[in-house]
Amino acid sequence: MCDSLARARSGDASAFTELVRRHQRAVYSLALRMLTDPHQAEDVAQEVFIRLHRKLTRVQSDAHLVFWLRQVTTRLAIDRLRREPRHELLPLEEDPGIAGDSADGDPLLQRHLRALIARLPPAARAVVLLRYQEDLDPTDIAEVLQMPVNTVKSHLKRSLASLREMLGRPGGIIAVAERP
Amino acid sequence: MNSDLEKQLRDALRPIDPPAGFATRVSERTQRRRWPRGRLPMHPHWLPTALAASVLAALVLGYGWQVHRERQGLQARQQLIEALRLTGEKLDLAYRGVRDAARPADDAGA
Repeated sequence: MCDSLARARSGDASAFTELVRRHQRAVYSLALRMLTDPHQAEDVAQEVFIRLHRKLTRVQSDAHLVFWLRQVTTRLAIDRLRREPRHELLPLEEDPGIAGDSADGDPLLQRHLRALIARLPPAARAVVLLRYQEDLDPTDIAEVLQMPVNTVKSHLKRSLASLREMLGRPGGIIAVAERP
Repeated sequence: MNSDLEKQLRDALRPIDPPAGFATRVSERTQRRRWPRGRLPMHPHWLPTALAASVLAALVLGYGWQVHRERQGLQARQQLIEALRLTGEKLDLAYRGVRDAARPADDAGA
């Protein structure tokens, strides 16, 4: 167990803030890509850390902490998407991931891909994000999302096929960008 | 082609930082939750003391209530005795009145 986790568990507020700083990027990114709304994403990310603060004594190790953060973030985001499904639709011009454009590759294609991912159903979106943003393998994704490994694999296969199909469509990027 | 798409997905999904001051906002919220409405935090070692004080207060109140009830009972008993005494005196007085009224007739007959 790392020093700041041990100190945070014993009630050290500055150690807890240190933990937040260390994991805020991963938690916020996951929430943002799930919800596609920066305000909702910050709200969910804050809620995740508030819950962590309440249940800190149950966190046994750094690996457990990372697992717990991923699980609670995806669960809260999926719950919110089910309550407010309007967030599933994202016009390309509102893509919140502009700041996340990678130096490698085509920024327009990256935005386009994020917009397409935002159209996937919540569970499939969570699977794709955990696979390609968090770099987890299907077994770990199954544990985080508490679903069978075969379901994870099936989500991945169908999501990739769907993304490839939309990308390969004649005028695909323009068609998606101009979606009503 | 699949690996191309996977690489493009990884590039598109690079993690991004939350807005500035995120950790501070989280800390403020945890502090507010810990000490709601500006109250001072109660240290856990106060709890047994507070519990013992509550039990003691309950015992004292219970004892006071019992004493009060006993005193009320005693007063009621004294009032009953006094009422019986007065009733006895009145009956005695009435008996004497009746007896004195009947005596001259008896004397005249004799």
